Amino acid sequence: MPESKLFKPLDPLLHSELRLAVMSILLDAGSADFVYLKAETGATSGNLSVQLDKLQQAGYIEVTKGFKGKMPQTVCRITDQGRNAFASYVEALRSYISSDNR
Amino acid sequence: MENNFSAESSLRLITETIERSRRTMAKNSGKPMILWGSLVATTSVVIWALWTRTGTPVWNLLWFAMSALGGFFTYQMNRNREKVPATEISRILGKVWMWFGIFTTGFYALLWAVALIRYSAHMEGIVTVNLTLLVTMMMGLCGAISGAVMNCRPVTAGSVLATALSVLFVLLVPDGAPVQILTFLILGVFALIIPGVILQRKAKA
Repeated sequence: MPESKLFKPLDPLLHSELRLAVMSILLDAGSADFVYLKAETGATSGNLSVQLDKLQQAGYIEVTKGFKGKMPQTVCRITDQGRNAFASYVEALRSYISSDNR
Repeated sequence: MENNFSAESSLRLITETIERSRRTMAKNSGKPMILWGSLVATTSVVIWALWTRTGTPVWNLLWFAMSALGGFFTYQMNRNREKVPATEISRILGKVWMWFGIFTTGFYALLWAVALIRYSAHMEGIVTVNLTLLVTMMMGLCGAISGAVMNCRPVTAGSVLATALSVLFVLLVPDGAPVQILTFLILGVFALIIPGVILQRKAKA
């Protein structure tokens, strides 16, 4: 059997440090606002915005822009599609690790 | 963005990110718990002392003053500390304790209203409701739910232990006796102060 068939493909959208960190936070918390995600990941505003946009375009998260009092607030929420993608990604990672341990 | 990190690194990143995020959440839960626990414990001792000395349960109105004071201190605390935005967990916790406040305050107000109506209408008979037991159960339940939502065993265990001790205490002392109010001292210490201190220490570790 060719070795590539042992491994499940890794979702390229999640196989990125910042996007993976964002998805991990959202998976646990359900939703979080931009300021929180920025503080927890240590990313710059520009980079985080770009990565959130990619996750949103893939349908992994929903982004809602609104106001909290007089301050603008951007809230990100993980979607069911995002949860499923994350679960598949972790499953694929396991196949790599179990293969390394053989 | 870097896409060349290993499977082990990915899993480590997921675990570390979730743990860090949970520590941030926990850091914000410790201080309000210590604050409200101290207020509940102190108020119960003050009411017990005044009720015992004067013989009138009217001092229970001090719970409203405590709620106002707690609300003011919580507002000040939130203003002064670093902003931690809301997540699904913090929103759930906020709603759980908001409804606890609405239920207890509403029920207490309703009891006073019924008492006044019965008094003005010269109605005979006495309606007795063990409010202490009711609030104790609700507070323990909300504490246990909070612990489960935060996935924090000290909070869940503290609430269950405090509720068990408090219910036992309420049932063992004579019904309506001022000493019954000290059940909130048990709840304040075991369900709020001790878990709050544990959360603070875990967050700093």
